[in-house]
Amino acid sequence: MMGCLPTKQVGRSTHSLNPREAVALAAETSCENVDLPDFVNIATGTPFTVNEVEALYDLFRKLSNSIIKDGLIHKEEFHLALFRNKKTNLFVDRVFDLFDQKGNGVIEFDEFVRSLSVFHPDAPEEQKAGFAFKLYDLRQTGFIERRELKEMVLALLDESDLNITSDAVEMIVDRTFDQADTKGDERIDQEEWNEFVKNNPYVLRNMTLPYLKDLTMVFPSFVIHSEVSEADMVA
Amino acid sequence: MSVTNLNAFEIISFSKGFDLSGMFIVKEWRNEARFTSDKSASTIISKLEDVAKALNLRVRKKDNGVVKMQGRKEGRNGVLQFDIEIFEVTTSYHIIEMKQTSGDSLEYRQLLEEGIRPALKDIVLAWHGDE
Repeated sequence: MMGCLPTKQVGRSTHSLNPREAVALAAETSCENVDLPDFVNIATGTPFTVNEVEALYDLFRKLSNSIIKDGLIHKEEFHLALFRNKKTNLFVDRVFDLFDQKGNGVIEFDEFVRSLSVFHPDAPEEQKAGFAFKLYDLRQTGFIERRELKEMVLALLDESDLNITSDAVEMIVDRTFDQADTKGDERIDQEEWNEFVKNNPYVLRNMTLPYLKDLTMVFPSFVIHSEVSEADMVA
Repeated sequence: MSVTNLNAFEIISFSKGFDLSGMFIVKEWRNEARFTSDKSASTIISKLEDVAKALNLRVRKKDNGVVKMQGRKEGRNGVLQFDIEIFEVTTSYHIIEMKQTSGDSLEYRQLLEEGIRPALKDIVLAWHGDE
């Protein structure tokens, strides 16, 4: 274990290091406290391996410093990552709000990983269904109302430049809503939603990102430099 | 080629706001493309068949309504293959998705930009993923 040195005295050039190595070296040798997240802890309970969480950290750092350089993902940065422009979008706002589990207006790294884990192919269907339900419960009343469904359909049509008649919109919304609202109380509750999703699995198509299973393939440079090997992790 | 009817929640799921892949994949490398059309399903289908013929692509229909198109020659990374799926929003509005399933990505993008997109101009309302 090296003693700590004031950062200025670290002889080795940092040009040859990738960002994680540079941070790790600084952490080992400097007297300042460089806070790397607890990758092992964050990976626990998710389908991600520790290596994959490290890969996500590099992505997170890029996203969280794209507009406001504070290592936290703000709504505009989230938007930029998905849309490459700053036009507002109802659905991005909902996804952002769900990722922001603490509700403090920013997405922190552990929130980022835990929310993404729901989109992993190996995440349980119930988790995906639960997330989607909260997404679509626009006013967070615990129910999806007919007008919320209509609002979302209109938002999608607007986003896609699809110009269908309001009669057609009514028909689509009503047909779907009536199918889901089996209790007939003008709102879809969790139970009705779970049943609906079971009968219409395609509804959750957006809740799975297949390549989350191959993250280290998508970012190959991260595999080689991992500080922590899986073998070390066996507790 | 068959058409998948969409319910309202399925329609919503097409939003790019839910497409988190934007965080991971640089746009230029995406091998998925989507467009909207205000033509009837049969018009879209026959147009796609014409385009396949003109570009010398083999067409195979899968059980689930998905159509597979395939190049006839081996490319840099095997034979180019992509799936096409047609979704009905209403009888006069459809969303068509094209997803590459094998072969070289650059070759696919070239085929898409130089061959497929120009040929589909008459039936396309808008391509999505374009800003």
